[in-house]
Amino acid sequence: MMKKGRLMVSMMLALAFAVGGCATKSDLKEAQARDMAISAKADQAAQDAQAAKAAADEALMKANEATARAEAAEKRAEERERIAAEKERIAEEKAKQAEAIFQKSMKK
Amino acid sequence: MLAPVSLRRKAYAGRKRVKKRYLGYVRRMATHFSLPSKLSPKAPGRSLERPPRSIVCQLLLLSICVLMLHSCAVGRQFLETLPFLGQPPDSIEKNYFLVDKDESVIGRLASIRLGRSDTLPDIARHFSLGINTLSAANPGVDVWVPRDGAHVVLPLSFVLPEAPKEGIVINLAAMRLFYYKRNGDLQAVSTFPVGVGTEERPTPMGRMYIARKKWRPTWYVPASIAADHRKKGDPLPASVPPGPLNPLGEHALYLSEPGYLVHGTNKPASVGLRATNGCIRLYPEDIKRLFDTTPVKTPVKIVNQPYLIGRREGEVYLEVHTPYEGSGSAALKKAYAKLKKIEKQTGDVLDWEKIKKVVAEARGIPIAVSATGPGGKTDGVETIRLRHPAKLYGQPQVPKFRTDAWYVLAADFRDAVDARRLAAIINHQGPQIPARVLSISDKHRVLAGPFNSKGEAKAAAKRMRIDLEIDGIVVAPVEQG
Repeated sequence: MMKKGRLMVSMMLALAFAVGGCATKSDLKEAQARDMAISAKADQAAQDAQAAKAAADEALMKANEATARAEAAEKRAEERERIAAEKERIAEEKAKQAEAIFQKSMKK
Repeated sequence: MLAPVSLRRKAYAGRKRVKKRYLGYVRRMATHFSLPSKLSPKAPGRSLERPPRSIVCQLLLLSICVLMLHSCAVGRQFLETLPFLGQPPDSIEKNYFLVDKDESVIGRLASIRLGRSDTLPDIARHFSLGINTLSAANPGVDVWVPRDGAHVVLPLSFVLPEAPKEGIVINLAAMRLFYYKRNGDLQAVSTFPVGVGTEERPTPMGRMYIARKKWRPTWYVPASIAADHRKKGDPLPASVPPGPLNPLGEHALYLSEPGYLVHGTNKPASVGLRATNGCIRLYPEDIKRLFDTTPVKTPVKIVNQPYLIGRREGEVYLEVHTPYEGSGSAALKKAYAKLKKIEKQTGDVLDWEKIKKVVAEARGIPIAVSATGPGGKTDGVETIRLRHPAKLYGQPQVPKFRTDAWYVLAADFRDAVDARRLAAIINHQGPQIPARVLSISDKHRVLAGPFNSKGEAKAAAKRMRIDLEIDGIVVAPVEQG
């Protein structure tokens, strides 16, 4: 009697565990839906990240282009300045040479 | 002498007629613009009416005339001489000054607006200045091709050198001669710019006197100069008689120091330069005045004073020149010591920052350096504005191009300024070699001439080769006469 009782309790417990351990159909659907939503969210996030990266890349590219343009402009300005200074120096040099020759010509 | 009565009456009537016509014109203008003029008591204001066509036309015509005058060189020159553009150019004293017993600064600084064809040597000669002082007073101004319309300072104020005020004193650093004389009870000084000896052949310093005078001197060529010319391929005769080729000019004062003279020149553009063999050179017009007023035995003192300190109306002035010999550091030390002594003795506070600046710039003009007083704190140089003279004295004249004349092609330039500079330098040779620029599109040719013969052109080309190192090409006339 005692033995039967124990077996009964054990079976009841096993059944209870078995019933508690398996999911229902609705649970499965719910899980799938959640997975889908998360996946979609992840996709969206990835897309957003990609878009952001692309935008960042584009901005960086533009910034680089602007820097390059500025550098080129600065170089051109420097070149112009150098040429102007060189011209001025040459003009001064020429004027000095002319003056030296003139002063020499003023001797007896 | 007075003119006959009839003529004077006629002239008076003429003046009256002009005055009447002028007053009538003023009345019409006053009425038209409704001015509360005493000249138009009966005429009511007509400001709302349209101006009469005749007045509009007159104003329009006047504006057109002014514009036309401004656009043409001659017109501009005329406009420059109008009274409202400054004082008359001859209103400023250039050479003769009375010297106050307690003062050592003479003259006034002036300024002038340059004309289109002016060069600094032209301005320098007209105002009896050396090219050195005019250049130093106007740093950054091109000597030969200054900017049209630029204002230049005329350094016609001088601190007297530290020497006894008797006879002739020549300051080599300032390249200026001072001749002291008594004018009644007053002390007077005549001052002229000079050209002095080169570094290789400097002018001797010290005390000497005028040993003799000679009008139209003959130049006996010194051996050293003869050797120099031989080296250049331009052998000189043993002596050069009076005339345009004589470098002594028309007047010579022989100094007691043998071989040294105070004389004129056939190269006026050299005044203010270190270009002589130790002699003192003056403009032809200046040596004439000095020659006429200087007796034999007049004492002469030649000094080198680059730092000149003077006083006028209680202010301390400092005039700095480039030293004639050496660095001038000893002279500068002495000048600083003198300034400190003045500060200590008189109690005047000096602006030492300004003193430093004046020393560094060495503009050759007296600058007030007192920290207090009228000019004490001003950095700018106050000048009297002068009108441009109708004609600059001694300015080389260049004849127009002629198709029947010979020329010498001096050089071709892409830059118009370079061409103008060379033409100006050739023009200022002594005796003058006329030269001008012929510009066609972006090519600017400097042509010396016109010459009447091939021989003349060749002689000019030779001078240009020897004196200016220019290999000119003789150009035959377009149409042979």
